[in-house]
Amino acid sequence: MAGSSKKTVAKTRRVLGLFGDFDQAFEVIAGIRRYQVPGLTVDDVTLKSPIEHPEIEDVLGERPTDIPKFAFWGGLFGLVFGFFFLAGAQATFLVQPQGGKPVITIPSNVVLAYEMMILFGVLTTLAGFIIGARLMRRSSGLYDTAISVDQIGIVIEVSDKQYQPLTDLFKKHNVIEMHEEALS
Amino acid sequence: MSSLLGNIFKGWSDYSKGNEEGGHHNYEHMYAMVIDLDKCTGCNACSTACYAENNLATVGEEYFGARQAMHWMRIERYFDEPNLEKAGSEADADTQSHGASFLPMMCQHCNAAPCEPVCPVAATYHTPDGLNAQIYNRCIGSRYCANNCPFRVRYFNFYDHQETAWPAPMEQQLNPDISVRSKGVMEKCTFCIQRTRAASNTAKNEGRAIRDGEIQTACQQTCPTSAILFGDLLDETSAVHQAWKRHQVQLGRYTQNKENPELRGYRIFEELNVDTKVLYLERVREV
Amino acid sequence: MSDQKHLTQEQTKDIDENIAWASINADVLRSMENPRRGYWVAMAVSVCLFGIMIYAEVYQYMYGMGAALLNTSHMWDLYISTFVFWIGMSHSGTLLSAILHLVHADWRKPIYRFAEAMTTFSLMTAGIFPVIHLGRVWNFYWVMPYMTDRGLWPNFRSPLIWDAFAITAYLTSSVLFLYIGMIPDLAICRDNAKGWRKTLYSWLSLGWRGDDRQWRNFRFTYLMIACFLIPLAVSVHSIVSMDFAMSIMPGWHVTTFPPYFVAGALYSGCAAIITLFILLRYFFKFEHYMTFPILDKVCKLTFVIAMVWTYLNLVEFASVWYGHDIPSKEVLIAKATGPYSPFFWGMMTFGSVLPFSLLFKWVRRNMYVLFFASIFLNVGMWLERWMIVTPTLSLGYHPQAFNVMWPGWTEWAMVGGSFGWFGMLFLIFVKVFPCVSMYEVKEMVFHRKRTIYDDVDEMMTLHSGVPGPKAQTQNSGGA
Repeated sequence: MAGSSKKTVAKTRRVLGLFGDFDQAFEVIAGIRRYQVPGLTVDDVTLKSPIEHPEIEDVLGERPTDIPKFAFWGGLFGLVFGFFFLAGAQATFLVQPQGGKPVITIPSNVVLAYEMMILFGVLTTLAGFIIGARLMRRSSGLYDTAISVDQIGIVIEVSDKQYQPLTDLFKKHNVIEMHEEALS
Repeated sequence: MSSLLGNIFKGWSDYSKGNEEGGHHNYEHMYAMVIDLDKCTGCNACSTACYAENNLATVGEEYFGARQAMHWMRIERYFDEPNLEKAGSEADADTQSHGASFLPMMCQHCNAAPCEPVCPVAATYHTPDGLNAQIYNRCIGSRYCANNCPFRVRYFNFYDHQETAWPAPMEQQLNPDISVRSKGVMEKCTFCIQRTRAASNTAKNEGRAIRDGEIQTACQQTCPTSAILFGDLLDETSAVHQAWKRHQVQLGRYTQNKENPELRGYRIFEELNVDTKVLYLERVREV
Repeated sequence: MSDQKHLTQEQTKDIDENIAWASINADVLRSMENPRRGYWVAMAVSVCLFGIMIYAEVYQYMYGMGAALLNTSHMWDLYISTFVFWIGMSHSGTLLSAILHLVHADWRKPIYRFAEAMTTFSLMTAGIFPVIHLGRVWNFYWVMPYMTDRGLWPNFRSPLIWDAFAITAYLTSSVLFLYIGMIPDLAICRDNAKGWRKTLYSWLSLGWRGDDRQWRNFRFTYLMIACFLIPLAVSVHSIVSMDFAMSIMPGWHVTTFPPYFVAGALYSGCAAIITLFILLRYFFKFEHYMTFPILDKVCKLTFVIAMVWTYLNLVEFASVWYGHDIPSKEVLIAKATGPYSPFFWGMMTFGSVLPFSLLFKWVRRNMYVLFFASIFLNVGMWLERWMIVTPTLSLGYHPQAFNVMWPGWTEWAMVGGSFGWFGMLFLIFVKVFPCVSMYEVKEMVFHRKRTIYDDVDEMMTLHSGVPGPKAQTQNSGGA
C-alpha cells in the first residue's frame, strides 16, 4: 500500500444498500472498518436512516459540525450590533430626554441587545444548519422512500474493483434491496 | 463612533449632575406654575378658557358621563368640611368657605415625567423649556402614557369630535395657532406652548430676554381672582421663582425640608418623585 | 370511546415499545387526509368568530376607540389583557419542546409538535392585539426600528418597544424551531404525497434524505435553538410583564411580575396542551401515541406550575398587605371586595383551587372532566390577566380618577374573534402538517426497546452471572 497510498482510485458508481435495522447496517460498517472491501474506509460511508441512532458516533467515528461556531458568532454579532445600533439611534436625539433619565439608557439597551443576540443567534444557526447539512442541493437521487419508514440505508461510492466485494458484504448481512447509479 | 461613545457618557453625566443640583439637563427656561387654592373660587373660567384657546371639543353629556371628556384643565371638587351642619342651609355646602375645596388640575409638566419614557414612538418628551411636550403627529395612540400618569391628566381622542363639536359657523372660533386633533391621538395641557413660542420668537426678534408676565397662559389670563401664576423658574426676577422660594419648595426633591412648616406651598404626589412643576398653595382653612 | 376502559387499563407505559415504525407513519399520515364533517363545522365556527372580530375592528377603525368604552381612567382593557393571555399560552410549546428536550424527558415526544404549533399560532394571535389597540392603527409600523425620512427612531426606552422586539424574536425563533423540527417529518410526508402536497413538502423538506451528516447537523441545530429559545421565552414574558411593572401605577409596579407572568404563562400553556391533547387524541384516534401515562405527566406538570403560580400570587398579596404602600393596598382590597371581585374570586378558584382536581386519578383518566377542567383553568388565567389590568386602572393614585368600567361590545367581539383566528390556524395546521412527530415517536419506541433489553441483560448478569437475553439474540440480528 506504501507506494499507492496517494493515488486515488476513480469511483465509478454509487451504491445504496437497504437494511432492516441498525444492527445489520452496523455490522456492514464494522466489516468496512476491518477492510473487508479493499480501499474503502469508514469515512466513505454515508448512513441514511429514519432516526438518528444514539451511538452513531461510536460507529461512524467523530465527524465534526460547525454549527456551534455559527451560533456563537451570530449571537455575539447580535449582541454587539444590537447595543450599538440602539445606542446610535438614541444618540441622534439627545435633545429629547424623557422622564428625567439619560437619553442612552443602559438597562433598556441591554434588554434589547439580549433579544437581538438571540434572534441573530437563531438565524445564523439556521444558516449553519442548511450549509452544514448540505440541504437544498441537487441531490444524488439515490434515495428510497423506505428510508423514511423503517429501513436503514448505506451509501458508498465505489470503483469497479470495489463493487463486487461491497455487494458481497451487503448480501452477507441480509441486504433487502440495492440501488446504484453511475457517477458522472 | 467616538461621538456615539461620547454621547453615551454625556447623557449619563447630565443625568447624574441634574439629580444632585435640583434640576436636570441644561435648561434654558423652566416654566412652572403657582396656583393659590385660597383664591380659587371654582368658577371654571380657566377650564372654559382652555377649551377656547386649545380647540378642545365639548363632547356632550353622554360622553362626559362615560369619562371620555377632553378638558385639559379640570376643576376638582372635594367636600371635606366636617362642620357642614353648622354652616346652616344646604346652599352653602357648595361654597368654599362651607363645604367644597377646589383644585384646578392639569398637566403638572413633571421633570421626571413617568409618561415620557413609556411612549413607544417618542411622541412625548421634555423640552429645553422644561415643558412636557406632546407631538400629535407622532402619536399612534398606544395610551401607555395616560396609564402611567398618576394625576390622570392625559386625555385621549376617543372619537372624531371635529365632525360634531363645531357645527358651522362655530368652526370660526378655532384657534389657528393650534391644530385640531383627530381620533386616536393623546393630548394634554401644554402650558399654552403656542403663546410661549410666540413670546420667545418676539423676544428673539427684538434681541432681548423674555420678560416676566409676557407669557400668560389662557387659564392665568382668565382667572378672575388671579389664582394662577405662570413664569420661568430660572428667571430669578419672576413672580413664580419668588413664590417657590418663599414657600421653600425646591425641584429635584421628593420631600421638602422647610424651616417653617406653616408655609402653604406643596406639590401633589411629590413622594412619587416625579418632580412636578405646579406649586399649589394650600387653602387657608377656618379653624 | 367504547375501548376507553380497555385502553385505560392497558396503558401503563408512556408508549408501547412494539409499535411498528411503518404503522407510526401510516397513523399520522392518515390524520392528514381529507377531513370529515366535524372538522368543517369547527372551521366554520372559527371563521365566523374571526368574521365578527373583523367587523368589530372595522367599526372601531372608523368610529374611534370610544366604541370599546375606554375612558380617561381605563385606557387599557381587554385588548391588553387578552394580548398577555395569548403570549402566555405561547409558552406551552417552548416548555414542552425546548425545556423538556434539555432534560431528556422522552414522554414529550408524541405531543410537542402540536404544542409548538400552538406556540406559533398563539404568538400570531397575540400579535394582532398591540396593533388593534392603537388609536391610530394605520401607523402601527412606526414601532419598527427603521430610518424614517425625518431620522426618527422608535423610543427604545419604552417597554412596548421591548415587547415588539421580543415578540418578533420569539415568533421568528418559534416558527423556525417548529419548522426545523418538522423537516424529517416533512420528508416522510413528501415520500407519501401526491399533487400539490408533494410539491409543498418537497420544497419544505429542503431535500432531506436522512443522511448521517444531515442528522448530526440537525441534532446540533435543534439543541442550539432549544438553548436559545428557553432564555428567550423567559425574557419575552418578563418583558410583557414589564409593560406593567415599569409603570408607577399601584398594583402594577410589582417586582415579582416577571416571574409571576412566566409562571402564569407556563400554567396556561400546559392547560391548553391538555385541552388539545384530548381533542387530537379523540378525533385522530392517536390513543397509542398520546397515551394516558403521558397525559398523567402533563397533568402533574400543570399542577406543579399551578402551585408555583399560586405561590407567586400569595407573595404579591402578602407583600402588599404587609407593606406601607397605601394605594397598592387599596387596589388589592378593591380586587377582593370591590366591583370586580366576582372575577377576582373566579380567578382564584379556577387558578388555585381547581388544579387540585388534577391530583385525583379518576379526573386524570376521565377525558370529559379533564377537558372541561383544562378549559376552566385557562378561563381562570384569562381572568387573571383581566384582573391585573382593570382594577389598578379603576383606582390608581388620584381619587378623581376612580372609575368602574365594563368592556364594550367591540372588546368582547375581538376577544372571541381571537379564539376564532387561533382555531382557524390550528385547524389548517393539523391537516397540512403532521401534528405528531413521527421520527421522534420512532426514536422513543427504539430507545425503549433497547433499554428494556439492556436492563434485563444487566440485571441478569448482576444477579446470576449468566449472560442475559441480549447476548443470546445478538447473533440472530437483534430487534
